[in-house]
Amino acid sequence: MVGEEHVSMIPAPEGKRWAATVNGRPFEVLAPSNAVLLDVLRDKVGTLGVKRGCDLGTCGCCTVMIDGVPKLSCLTLAGQVQGAAIITVEGLSDGAHLAPIQTCFATHGGSQCGFCTPGFLIASQALLNENENPTRDEIACAIEGNLCRCTGYQQIIDSIEAAAAIHRGDAEAAAPASDPHPDPHPSGPEEPTMPPGHAK
Amino acid sequence: MLMPPFELHHPTTVAEAVELAASLMEQNEAFDWVAGGTDVLPNYKWRINPKPHVISLAGIEEAHHLSASEIGCMVPLSSLTAANGVHPLLVEAAAKIASSLIRKSATVGGNLCLDTRCFWYNQSEDWRRSIDWCHKADCGTGADCRVIPNQNTLCVATYQGDLAPNFMVLDASVVLIGPEGQRTLPLSEFYELDGMKKNVLQPGEFLLKVELPSDAKKRRGCYQKLRVRESWDFPEAGIAASWLPGDATTLKVASTALESIPRLHDEQVEVHLAEGELDPVGLAVLVQKSVKPVNNTALPPRYRRSMVKTLTKRALRGILD
Amino acid sequence: MGSYRQQPGASKSEVRKDGKRVAGKQVFPPPGSGGSEPTMRPRDLDFIPETVGGKEPKPAGDHIHDRDRTGTIVGKPIPLVDSNAKVTGQAWYGDDVRLPGELIGKILRSPHHYARIKSIDTSRVEALPGVVAVSTGQDAPNRFGVLPVTKDEHAMAVEKVRHVGDLVACVAAVDEATAIEALSLFDIEWEELEPVFDPKKGLEDHDEPIHWRGKYHLARTNVQKRVFQEFGDRSLVNSPHASSHGSWTMLGVHHGFTEPHAVVAHWDPNGRLQLYTPQQVPHYTHRALSTVLDVPMHQINVVRTFVGGGFGGKSDPFPHEMCAAILARKSGRPVRITFDREEVYWINRGRHPSHIDVKMTADTEGRISSFDIDALIDGGGFASFGHVTSYYNGVLATAPYELGSFHYTGARVWTNKPASGAMRGHGAVNTRCAVEVGLDEMAESMNVDPIDLRLANLLPPHSRTISGFRITSNGMREALERVREGSNWDEKFRQMPLGKGIGIGCGFFISGSGLPIHWDPKNFPHATVHIQVDMDGGVTVHTGAADIGQGSTTAVAQVVAEVLALPIEMVHVRSHESDTSPVDLGSYSSRVTFMNANAAIRAAIGIRDQLLKAAWEMLGYHPNVLVLNDRRIYYKHDPAIGVSYLEALHKAQADTGALIARGAYRSPPMGGVHKGAAAGLAPAYSFSAYVAEVDVDVETGLVSCTNVWAAHDCGKALNPLAVKGQIIGSCHMGLGQVLTEKMVYGRTGHLQNANLLEYKIPSVHEMPHVEAIIVESSDPEGPFGAKEAGEGPLLPILPAVVNAVYDAIGVRLRDLPLTPDVVHAGIQKHLKKSGLDDEEQMEPPRLTHGPLQSVLVARGDEHRERDRLRQRSEDTSAYVNGVLFGFDPDRPLSEQVDGWREADEPLPEQLAELGFAGRAWLKKEQRHMEDDA
Repeated sequence: MVGEEHVSMIPAPEGKRWAATVNGRPFEVLAPSNAVLLDVLRDKVGTLGVKRGCDLGTCGCCTVMIDGVPKLSCLTLAGQVQGAAIITVEGLSDGAHLAPIQTCFATHGGSQCGFCTPGFLIASQALLNENENPTRDEIACAIEGNLCRCTGYQQIIDSIEAAAAIHRGDAEAAAPASDPHPDPHPSGPEEPTMPPGHAK
Repeated sequence: MLMPPFELHHPTTVAEAVELAASLMEQNEAFDWVAGGTDVLPNYKWRINPKPHVISLAGIEEAHHLSASEIGCMVPLSSLTAANGVHPLLVEAAAKIASSLIRKSATVGGNLCLDTRCFWYNQSEDWRRSIDWCHKADCGTGADCRVIPNQNTLCVATYQGDLAPNFMVLDASVVLIGPEGQRTLPLSEFYELDGMKKNVLQPGEFLLKVELPSDAKKRRGCYQKLRVRESWDFPEAGIAASWLPGDATTLKVASTALESIPRLHDEQVEVHLAEGELDPVGLAVLVQKSVKPVNNTALPPRYRRSMVKTLTKRALRGILD
Repeated sequence: MGSYRQQPGASKSEVRKDGKRVAGKQVFPPPGSGGSEPTMRPRDLDFIPETVGGKEPKPAGDHIHDRDRTGTIVGKPIPLVDSNAKVTGQAWYGDDVRLPGELIGKILRSPHHYARIKSIDTSRVEALPGVVAVSTGQDAPNRFGVLPVTKDEHAMAVEKVRHVGDLVACVAAVDEATAIEALSLFDIEWEELEPVFDPKKGLEDHDEPIHWRGKYHLARTNVQKRVFQEFGDRSLVNSPHASSHGSWTMLGVHHGFTEPHAVVAHWDPNGRLQLYTPQQVPHYTHRALSTVLDVPMHQINVVRTFVGGGFGGKSDPFPHEMCAAILARKSGRPVRITFDREEVYWINRGRHPSHIDVKMTADTEGRISSFDIDALIDGGGFASFGHVTSYYNGVLATAPYELGSFHYTGARVWTNKPASGAMRGHGAVNTRCAVEVGLDEMAESMNVDPIDLRLANLLPPHSRTISGFRITSNGMREALERVREGSNWDEKFRQMPLGKGIGIGCGFFISGSGLPIHWDPKNFPHATVHIQVDMDGGVTVHTGAADIGQGSTTAVAQVVAEVLALPIEMVHVRSHESDTSPVDLGSYSSRVTFMNANAAIRAAIGIRDQLLKAAWEMLGYHPNVLVLNDRRIYYKHDPAIGVSYLEALHKAQADTGALIARGAYRSPPMGGVHKGAAAGLAPAYSFSAYVAEVDVDVETGLVSCTNVWAAHDCGKALNPLAVKGQIIGSCHMGLGQVLTEKMVYGRTGHLQNANLLEYKIPSVHEMPHVEAIIVESSDPEGPFGAKEAGEGPLLPILPAVVNAVYDAIGVRLRDLPLTPDVVHAGIQKHLKKSGLDDEEQMEPPRLTHGPLQSVLVARGDEHRERDRLRQRSEDTSAYVNGVLFGFDPDRPLSEQVDGWREADEPLPEQLAELGFAGRAWLKKEQRHMEDDA
């Protein structure tokens, strides 16, 4: 015989002291021995920006930085990262000031529904910490573990490129996307004109 | 998905780990080893055969050792880079595993000891209940294998690790350690047929490190991996080949993701070379004939088998050029 | 941000011919012209918008909203207004709603494909410490469904379960572990029934059909809906000059949104339900909750959280939403239910697995004389949106081409699988792929370029399709021409080496549904928007439009900011709660931008009118000559005379109290009278054309798409950044369907890949470079000319890739997705047939233009001018499908040819020759079963 028909989930193991630095602040919470980092961050620490997409390592929504390395918190046992320095999406900005990567995701269309965004932000910030001048291919490799269903990745790569330029000092922070699509025919508050006569 | 209850242990030395394993065995308590967790934890979340104890190898310093000739089991795949002096074949193979995020956690030891996979098996408890279980996790029902029906003696789940064939063609050995002591054996003898048995690890034993012979670095290798997406996907078929350039007698070819174990194709190479000059197509046909994939991965077995020829041909051409 | 230069000082007045004096026209010099300084003059006047003095003509003519343009924000690429929440992790999705004292709900799901529940004993569940509430189907006997005509769902199974994963019961407990444990304690007696998985078997009679529709049930089959539509001159089908016939198998695909379903329910002390859910269509959930829970709608407040991707997959009212509400009512505490990824696949509502058969013919002049489509679609266990899908699979193929005749038979069958439903490109995607590939094949048999074949057969702007859809703006031609040019098509098509290919595909999609599902548009508008203005000038917009990431909130904010000439930061859109939002149909059918932005413009005009009225009293100038811009209201002919926005606002508020306004949108009456005429009717349609380039590894069959040129006519890009995001995102999703994604039901009918590892959504590495090209045809009824951009852009990528694969290897493949094994098998079959031993010997197809090519090119050129005049309303003559075939558009077509058909039922003599799905018409409804006796 292998396995059991029903694996009993109770009693849950007793909570033990779990300590780590999350977004620069020390935290000490009670977490059971089998706790997964994602669950601890969402349910105990309260960093709800860490998202649960697939729970099996295939979407990247739960990516957090652990001692500077982007990892999947859904496949990390909390017990294995005792004492680590963890950064979640909430820890990217400096107080009220958004990090360049955050601003660029907004200005370059890197975020649509936004659910995958926290994971992408962490993965791309980790890349920029190591490499301020990544090629589009290097960016692609850095985010290959993150799944986005909205953007088709292209504007995400644009966003990361733009943030890299700010990191390098090549561009001013929060430069809005240059208008790639000049408005061909706007008009102002003139006298009312008749609509086309086709509405039959 | 909730993690089933277990007690996580953190030994900090090999001796402590072995001792812990021995004492748990003495108390008749089942346990699993965990390294990076990227293979074990999904299965646990699916409630596939979780154990009440899990021993983490992460705290063992020796297991993190990395050099050109010795790679500890806890070395993350993302560290297998040229900068760390790792053989280019291993660098190439490691870079093709899963996704860059998973490679940050996944380890060499974990990849070599990867559980065999099958779409009737890697599913949630609810799902497996709906098929009345399968042989690999029969839950005491004596369920038949769902891939090869009407039998419950052989598990044909597929081994889908990428590193194993590459280590094999570099003639690597593995160091295993357990309550009975330490032993070293060629990686090609590490695996044992049957999707449930998987390998020769004895209860309480774990794979501590991989060792490469000194001439490995002179070998030229090539790895061909078949997968649908260039991220996340396990190999649907994989062929590694290497040789000491110019010397056909040193040629080694190994395959993965085709059967329950990765396999070194020394026999086919020998037969082929006995017939004459090295011909990539001719050898590829022999390798193809020697494997029998079954229907338990994303792509159909017939296709995977026919790709063995193409992949072998490409791998051989890759090292010949 | 206003664009008007306010030049102080009055201009000279003029004396009219009749002697009256009128104010002189103020000349606004172009910005940067620098007055009289010659070196400061702009170099290129073409780049200066007309609003500020530029001379660019409007390519699509004038628009009714021109007078509401202030040059503030419409047409500018701006970040989504809620992007700060998203990039800081503060966007709260379903599972992020944590109420004090919450319980965790879990759902017990069926382990059987099809079974009757004989009994459920919950006593062991109730006895488990920590379990607070337990519920089964008995607690909620009322049926619901997204469409009023097909309500066939229960909160939990009442009598039967219909697929593995169907809901059986639910529990709420103090924590997740207890809730999961509780699920193992239900004692259920089952009686297993014979399941059906193959949709083809759905047309046969069964002992126990999956649902029973009483007297409307078709014999004893599992057919949920059958459709027959036939239009045009069917005599054209005989003796075609060229033809194509293809039978397709398309597997089901799933939306694959990253956020799993989640819901939180709580009954407040006043007995009102507060339900937090990531819903695309909160209003339908609202209605369904009212039905299922048996409480009036005003006792329910549906709160839409941020939606982590929808794509149609969060637009049904869901049984788990009912479960959470029931558990919360029973326990008196908030209940949160969050799905595992596997449960997401079990609730499904993805694209229907389809068997589609498309025949088409062309005549000697290269006109398309017929489309014959037969679609059998696999609906899974429930109806969902399927009634509509059944129609869309046919009728959305009636444009953008002018057809000689059109024939469609469709059937949707129930099977014991998770329910299919609406997914991005609802119903149109699979047929569109089959049709566009058919055109490619037909072009090949006529030795003409497939783009020229299309260009010579397009319906013009302001025309009527063969099925009676009213087409207004139409940018199809421009889209085709721009992708042809951008991709360098003429240098590549049929000229690339083996393994490299290029292909074309077009798309046509609705922009909003002409008929709201739950009411008659004559009685209620499609969309309503309320606006209120604060004391300090901040504007709050209330709308029920559900932002699912596509940026509808931004679009609504933009149009309000545009009309009121305010910075967008001053416009706040509240669209989260049914308590405060006007009733709205939510985000589906690509309706939000078109309908809600239209309603928002009207509401903003309402506010503007009140402000102008106040200014009238202050300035003495009639509102007709007052301009609101730059937070100021001024005399049109002398901007120095004016009051500030705040002064006017305070005056208006002093006069009338709060400043509020409402706006509504309803579509004009449209369409024919035949059965099903309303399906596919929309106030506007979007058009798109894509060219895709692929590399095919001929040995392994791996296809990689390398480049896409994607032109989409969205009328007017309110926010080009968002439109491009939609186009590229659509490419990604369509690429998944055509290359890698499939829901795999194995030989036992179990869904084998209910996870994101085995359900293969393309990663960043599979994504080609997409050149997103925005085509603006300025829709006469769209808000500032806008139409949809969310769904239509998905359609063309599938056929473009399939056609490109043919161009690369010369093998026609009709099984989607084109996974490497499918392509490999196709190549091997081709080798065998051609007697070749090696893939490298294959020859890709080549094209030598035949005599028809010049005919088509000439006609295309002629039609370009025709379309231009019609688009600009310079030619306002009637145009109906058929004019290309010589019919007079001003007389009924049926008077002009004997064989003209407009039918929604087959003739008795047609029954024998109907396609596979059409055979559903051989069956009789129960009420007619005894007619023959």
